[in-house]
Amino acid sequence: MSVITPAIATARHKSWRFNMVGVLLSALVVSVLGTTTAQARTLDTAYGDVEVKGTPERVVTLYEGALDAAVAAGVKPLGAVTTRGGDNVATYTEAHLGEDRPAIMGVVREINIEAVLAQQPDLILAPAQLSDEQYQLLSHIAPTVVPPTQPLAPDNWKNEARLYGEALNRQAAIAEAIAAVEQRAAEVGQAVEEAGIAGSAFLVRWMPGGPMVMSQNLFATGLLAQAGLDVQDGGLVGERGVHSDVLSLENLSQVDGDWLFLATLNEDGQAALEAAKQSSAFTRLNVVEQERVIPVDGQLWTSANGPLAAQAILDDIEAALLP
Amino acid sequence: MTVPRFATLGVRRASPRTLMMLLLTALVAVSLVSLLIGAGSVGPGRVLALLSGTQDSEAHFIVWELRAPRTLIGILVGMALGVAGALLQAVARNPLAEPGLLGVSAGAAFAVALALVLGASAATLRISVAQLGALVGCVCVLSVARFRGVGNDPIRLVLAGAAFSGLLASLTSLILLYDQRAADEIRFWVIGSFAGRRLDDLLAVLPSMLVASVVVILIARPLAALALGERVASGLGHHPNLIRWLVVACVALLVGAATAIAGPIAFVGLVVPFVARAFAGPDIRRTLWFCLPIGPLIVLAADIISRVVVAPSELPLGVLTALCGAPVLIAVVRARRLPML
Amino acid sequence: MKTTSIKSTSMPFTHATRAALGGNDPVSPPQGYWRFAWRHQQGANSVLFEQRAVVVNLGLFGALLVASVIYLSLGSVKVAPTTVLKALVGNADMMATFVVQELRLPRLAAACFTGAAFALAGILMQTLARNRLATPGIIGIDNGATAFAVASIVGIGVSIAPPAMALAGATTAAVLTFGLAAGSGTQGYRFIVAGIGVGAVFGAVTQLLLARVAIDTANAAYPWTVGSLNARPSGALQLLMLGLALGLTTALALARSLTLLRFKDATASGLGVNVKRRRLEVLLLSVALTGLAVAVVGPVGMVGLIGPEIARSLSSSRGVPLLAATLAGALVMVLADLAGRTLLTPIEIPVGIVTAVVGGPWLLWILMRPQRSYT
Repeated sequence: MSVITPAIATARHKSWRFNMVGVLLSALVVSVLGTTTAQARTLDTAYGDVEVKGTPERVVTLYEGALDAAVAAGVKPLGAVTTRGGDNVATYTEAHLGEDRPAIMGVVREINIEAVLAQQPDLILAPAQLSDEQYQLLSHIAPTVVPPTQPLAPDNWKNEARLYGEALNRQAAIAEAIAAVEQRAAEVGQAVEEAGIAGSAFLVRWMPGGPMVMSQNLFATGLLAQAGLDVQDGGLVGERGVHSDVLSLENLSQVDGDWLFLATLNEDGQAALEAAKQSSAFTRLNVVEQERVIPVDGQLWTSANGPLAAQAILDDIEAALLP
Repeated sequence: MTVPRFATLGVRRASPRTLMMLLLTALVAVSLVSLLIGAGSVGPGRVLALLSGTQDSEAHFIVWELRAPRTLIGILVGMALGVAGALLQAVARNPLAEPGLLGVSAGAAFAVALALVLGASAATLRISVAQLGALVGCVCVLSVARFRGVGNDPIRLVLAGAAFSGLLASLTSLILLYDQRAADEIRFWVIGSFAGRRLDDLLAVLPSMLVASVVVILIARPLAALALGERVASGLGHHPNLIRWLVVACVALLVGAATAIAGPIAFVGLVVPFVARAFAGPDIRRTLWFCLPIGPLIVLAADIISRVVVAPSELPLGVLTALCGAPVLIAVVRARRLPML
Repeated sequence: MKTTSIKSTSMPFTHATRAALGGNDPVSPPQGYWRFAWRHQQGANSVLFEQRAVVVNLGLFGALLVASVIYLSLGSVKVAPTTVLKALVGNADMMATFVVQELRLPRLAAACFTGAAFALAGILMQTLARNRLATPGIIGIDNGATAFAVASIVGIGVSIAPPAMALAGATTAAVLTFGLAAGSGTQGYRFIVAGIGVGAVFGAVTQLLLARVAIDTANAAYPWTVGSLNARPSGALQLLMLGLALGLTTALALARSLTLLRFKDATASGLGVNVKRRRLEVLLLSVALTGLAVAVVGPVGMVGLIGPEIARSLSSSRGVPLLAATLAGALVMVLADLAGRTLLTPIEIPVGIVTAVVGGPWLLWILMRPQRSYT
């Protein structure tokens, strides 16, 4: 991937960039005058160093993790993309947003750049998968923060949240939110241990042909591990992969641990569990016979990201393991 | 009426009866192999031990609960796709007519996407949805392409199918743009597989397969007459248009049933009749008979390969048949004389 | 006395006559043609323009201009048409100028040039195959480009940018189809069916790739599977502009033999066309144009059917309406993307979906009409 430093704009865009930055800066200075001294921060993003000044007030998030981090840091974004399977933002963030719903900036597959412009943002928080061409346009509108792509690890969300928090000039609030998650995870882990619950666990998504085993390096599986379960992926997920290929039903015993978390993208997790139970290969697993299969919300567990999502997942874990 | 000379493969010297016996033996052998081999750890040795009376609950479960239903489904899907292909090619008088090329798979995929959006889950999806979609897709393309005149222009039907499939694929994409959940799930449906399909699924589509079989038996003779030309068929007291529409209905039922169970499986409907004609010659009735063992043979062989090449996972069958079937399609058109049916 | 020899020229709808020296009688043009004559030292020249073709092309061009202005003014940010014109010369306020110059103008250019290239490639292919339903997409080029671009995004193989990979994929598919159809010639359905086979393989590969990655990665690959004009690569666009300029010139130069290619091979040969060679040239041209366009926008094959169909319905059947098809393709693409951007704001519908949803039913209607001869 070619790394383009926004500071070195192409000749064609040069005058434009400076004009736009000038406009935005003057707007910014006016808006934050008297509240914060405008200090410039240099952020290390996927597209090189990006400079952000002051405390951005007009924020647009183009990624669910960014929305989560921004809301956790106390910012109500002006715009956000829709979540998967819905025409608005994810359900778990709605409680935190109250009445201030962000305007919709399109879907993550097709970001409406003009809608972003219409909000006249002073900061854009974008996903790591943003394409080069989209970055070129968005970075003309406002400083655009794209997290660097990291090798898959359970704690990736912390780095992303910190980056977004720094861009928002709310480093302390983000650090606090992350610390709160860590403390909560430790508490849940403690309670789980005291309840005498332990053992191996798998997180899978159930497809008609069999299960897909989710990586043990995911956000949600990391939290499960912190809660004291020995999360495994049976060596089925490759280095880069988020999930395995659909596992043959003949090899279902490979996910037969002490706990099975069954992620479904359906609203009714119980229905998906019933569907899985129609397969005799599934019902003969030990974990199923012992009724230690826990249906969870796939939208939250396999695709969300951020401090608020972490709290929501810990809620789920607590409810499932500590009745 | 030209005889497909290139397609004899030197096998026509043997009598049809002997050939049929050979094919049936091969089918039994492949079915056995299908029971013996899988993506799991239960290998041929353990299965043979099980069959000779050893107690082995793991092997027993895998052979009788997983591999046996799957083999049965493979046999029926192979028969359905093979016969449907032969019927379609006969009535369209076009050796390239293939259910998968004609929008049937696209219709089924569209219906599945629609159902997913309306709240179903891929795990709980009712099999009738895909079947309905396949039926509608098939009828649409065939009525659009219309049979009269197609005999002179084999490519017209293919192009109509391609255009129609493109339209349906775009409509599916439009739905998936809005619904990420459906987008996430349909990725796994469109690649076609027998894995995890249960006998209940088979029971759900068995009625339509049976109805189609009865109709095929009834129209085989008129169809053979139609192959001699419209006037000959009329002269013998048949109704060409009625025959055509019955064939369309049969094809839609058969392909719809197969697609509903296994997802889109490309090219089987093209390859099977091609091979069957090599065995049976130009007579449509004999070709149909030969499709019955050849279809399952090819589908089961592909399914067995799909189980072992990427164990412990499985390669989707639809991908495998597309990869293997396309060369056959190309071989058919590269043949010096394209058989006119 | 006058001796008149008629020479074929490189113009699509003209017949130039060179009058002998000293012949100064006015020559009345055939019915339905305009004749323009001029004199110079060596003698006199005259050019015949088919009235209908001139009107159609000018009309389409005018429509394209109007559509462009509307395209530049509508969207999530509204810009008045008068402001659009000001913004184009840099005379408007910051916001309007940014929207028009940076966001919409490159997108408009991408729409125009890809639409034009698809439609031109389409009408070339249709003339070649003598079938109104043939497009380069049907011989697997679109699928090849998609498979390669998706492979690049999901991170399989070398990390080349998706547009370059799309171009490589289109080339690979074309080469495979040519190779597999070799010996059976480039005529008729053997070639097309070989292409369908190649396309099916690439389609299966794409689906397999998409099923093996996480949904976020699959999302990033989405524009390459449906065709979208949102934030397109500028390098590929410049390449396309160059290719289209060359391609259109070449196509217009081949116009006369294209007209003859519509007839039976024997007839065309008899009229002095080297059928085999001309076919190969036209086919290569069509494939190259499609490959370049796909590298910009992804698979939007439907335009290759709609553009030529509009052009044919407007034009007389005297020649192959190359220029009209090119303009119509650009117009269709611009209108489709305009609709995609504005109909369901704030959600944008990718242009590939709009063309298919609108063009599909229309196409079916064409298919269901009683079959006419090719023209």
